[in-house]
Amino acid sequence: MIQYPEIDRYSALSSPIHDWDPRVKLVSILILIFSIVLLYDLKLAFIGLIVAVIMLFISKIPLRFVGVYLKWVSFFILPFFLIMPFTVQGTELYRFHVLSVTYEGVTYALLICVRAFSAALLIFPMIGTMKFGTTIKALESLKVPNKLVQMVMFTYRYIFVLTSELQSMLRSMNSRGFAMRLSMQTPRTLGKAIGMLFVRSYERSERVYNAMVSRGYVGNIRTSHPFKLRDKDWLKAFPVIGIAIGLHCFAGIV
Amino acid sequence: MKKAVCIKNLSFRYQDMTLALEDVSLDVFEGESVVLLGPNGAGKSTLLLHLNGILRSEKGSIEIFEEGMDDGDIRSIRKKVGIVFQDPDDQMFMPTVFDDVAFGPINLGLSEEDVGKRVASALSMVGLTGYGNKCPHNLSFGEKKRVALATILSMEPEILVFDEPTSNMDPKSRTELIRTIKELNSEGKTIITATHDVNAVPEIAKRAYVLNKTILAYGTVKEIFENADLLREVNLEVPEVVKLFEILRCFGYNCEELPLSVEESIEHLTRTIEGKDGHVHLHIHEHTHEQLNSVIDRHFHPHKHHNFDKI
Ligand SMILES: Nc1ncnc2c1ncn2[C@@H]1O[C@H](COP(=O)(O)OP(=O)(O)OP(=O)(O)O)[C@@H](O)[C@H]1O
Ligand SMILES: [Mg+2]
Repeated sequence: MIQYPEIDRYSALSSPIHDWDPRVKLVSILILIFSIVLLYDLKLAFIGLIVAVIMLFISKIPLRFVGVYLKWVSFFILPFFLIMPFTVQGTELYRFHVLSVTYEGVTYALLICVRAFSAALLIFPMIGTMKFGTTIKALESLKVPNKLVQMVMFTYRYIFVLTSELQSMLRSMNSRGFAMRLSMQTPRTLGKAIGMLFVRSYERSERVYNAMVSRGYVGNIRTSHPFKLRDKDWLKAFPVIGIAIGLHCFAGIV
Repeated sequence: MKKAVCIKNLSFRYQDMTLALEDVSLDVFEGESVVLLGPNGAGKSTLLLHLNGILRSEKGSIEIFEEGMDDGDIRSIRKKVGIVFQDPDDQMFMPTVFDDVAFGPINLGLSEEDVGKRVASALSMVGLTGYGNKCPHNLSFGEKKRVALATILSMEPEILVFDEPTSNMDPKSRTELIRTIKELNSEGKTIITATHDVNAVPEIAKRAYVLNKTILAYGTVKEIFENADLLREVNLEVPEVVKLFEILRCFGYNCEELPLSVEESIEHLTRTIEGKDGHVHLHIHEHTHEQLNSVIDRHFHPHKHHNFDKI
């Protein structure tokens, strides 16, 4: 079974973050993410990480679910951790033969790691607490360029169709005796299958376009969004944006 | 009567030179329901895509309510002709069911309130009230097909075009869909349906066109289903009800005209029984076996058919 990228699986829970106006939520948390990613002080970055963890807890999204995605994040971060301590010049901590671990190297690696994890964790309270459709509507009502909104929308919608198409293709290959082996045949067959997937998606995109044109599409997509701002939406934005700014004020002092 | 669709001598070739339609002429009158029958690859979908100008051909002409494709405003034609495609995944591209059904009305420039009303009524017509917030990818195939129909209904077109509406649906959803199509027709919508589902044909339409690249025949549904040679040529068969009554006829049931649908068979039986002092008489007579064999060979072993033509 192929796992669908269902980032919004826990959008039906109820928490103060779920209850937050989607537009204010998107903007506030995005500001916080940028603020943390732009920190250069390890201690402050750690504070950012703690804030991220707290927000994740408030959102009630299960850690197990988050863990699956974090695995991928760590996969990309790991190389930095393996390389930076040895390559950044600075005060030597340890020495194995020719390789030396520097204090600056370790700090940098940790900094990158902490910032990346904070950002990754914050993604969940940001877009995992509402239906993806709501996210798209929020983007639209925030006046994000329509072409961009459409791209996000179609990517999301057709990832599911394509995954199930790929899945049924693999299944039919397997049921006709195909198995991954260490032979020339395997990559050749897979290559053809993936090629077919491209052809199919191209043909589908034509049919989808036909369906859209039939229903009056002329280049723009508008959805209706009954968002209403309440005082408490602003109230929630306050501490989040406050922390985002605060972290950088401290950075000036430290 | 006013013509809703008028196609004259239409031919169409795909880019890879496949000739999909050749000299097709067809008329559909306002308020009528017509089916388009034909085997796989006959060009049914191709023909339907011409009805709102998605495909265009130089050869031949198409008029919708007496308005030509070229001289008319294509957007006003698309407002009048709503096509429900074969694969619902092609038709649903928005993040939620509500947005998808609202897509057409929003493009028509309706107010938010009217859009909401249209969506609600379209969803209730297909029996999916309350599905507005669902994501398309979480729906079952039958539900997707019904949403696809709702996305068109919400535009309130005067002509509704269905491409294989009943394929892959469970019996109950299929029956409901057929009922919806009948209802729409009785509300005055013009309906064109391409299908292989011969059992549904007598239910949803009075008239049929048989297409295999070109129009092979047209007439009332009854006339088409009486033409055994034609049906065989296009890989179709008669509805099950017809087969049953042919079998009853072997047992001495008296019917000249075979009923095509369940409704018609109820009428037929009632008429026969009332005319025959309260009951029907079935029996095995000297030709029963012979006739039964012929019916069975004709319908259930079609490849052997020709040996039995003489009976
Ligand atoms: N995009 C295309 N390019 C080239 N040929 C095509 C294309 N689409 C369809 N055809 C060909 O045109 C012919 C008619 O196809 P069409 O899809 O209209 O048939 P159909 O009657 O709808 O069949 P089915 O009952 O299987 O849906 C077929 O021979 C098909 O292979
Ligand atoms: Mg077709």
